[in-house]
Amino acid sequence: MIRVAAVGDLHVGPEVAGAYRERLTGLPDHADLLLVAGDLTRHGTVEEGKVAAEELHDLGVPVITVLGNHDYHSDQQDDITRVLEDAGITVLEGEGTTVECGGTCVGIAGGKGFGGGFAGRCASDFGEPEMKAFVGHTKAFAERLGTALLGLDCDTRICLTHYSPVEETLSGEPPEIYPFLGSYLIAEAIDASGCDLAVHGHAHKGSEKGVTPGGVRVRNVALPVIQQAYAVYCLGAE
Amino acid sequence: MSEYLAAHIQERLAARAHELGIKVEVRDDVVYLHGQVASVEQCHQIEEAARMAAEGRRVCNEVSVVPVREPGGEERLS
Repeated sequence: MIRVAAVGDLHVGPEVAGAYRERLTGLPDHADLLLVAGDLTRHGTVEEGKVAAEELHDLGVPVITVLGNHDYHSDQQDDITRVLEDAGITVLEGEGTTVECGGTCVGIAGGKGFGGGFAGRCASDFGEPEMKAFVGHTKAFAERLGTALLGLDCDTRICLTHYSPVEETLSGEPPEIYPFLGSYLIAEAIDASGCDLAVHGHAHKGSEKGVTPGGVRVRNVALPVIQQAYAVYCLGAE
Repeated sequence: MSEYLAAHIQERLAARAHELGIKVEVRDDVVYLHGQVASVEQCHQIEEAARMAAEGRRVCNEVSVVPVREPGGEERLS
């Protein structure tokens, strides 16, 4: 059995440095790995990225993260990625990685993702260049995600994104903004690969639990949703 | 118009405080802020940003800090 700890939307900065890490004491006793579903920072600065790296380095379990929209705000996402990777944290953006947990190979593929909405009420790749760029960004990500998920050679497969693959975990947010919170294209990639779990953040007012049309369990682990340092999901037989 | 003012304050919160999830309501001469943020400092920054765009109205800050409890329990997915 694999124990997956997951959290998103830490939004750390110098003013709260060290506060989150205090809650991670004993993490290896509760989980085999930690997934972070983006928005590690508030303003997307390298300074905040360094704080995030300090919070998440050397925790005694592998830490895998994606970036979120806040982490892109200052156009320093590449530097933030470098700072995190230098601290031993794996940062995914359209690719996958595997970790060994007690004889089981766990594969994680993911990335930030993007919006567009959900079947029947979504944006289309049509019209102005701005609209095509918006939808195109999500389509390109979903294609890379699908390839990365299918390319994982592992026993247990997990998808990690910032944006949501389903509507259910957005319940609590105003329906009018769902197209800015996720896309069904992410779920389509998840279902095509036979994932065991999909984890995301971004929707602070959303709900924790959902499921893709193909039956894959989805969990929104945004800190304001789970209201604990991390949630733990157990996968596989004991 | 209070609806326009509320929208402008929300724009200011996004641009200055980088907070997207704060609900802004304008009733008579009072601006109400609702939502949750990660720290007390952010709570103060939001109020300051809102006051700059509030056109002299009183700002009632009802934003709270997200409680982060010790992790408890686990969910088994089979």
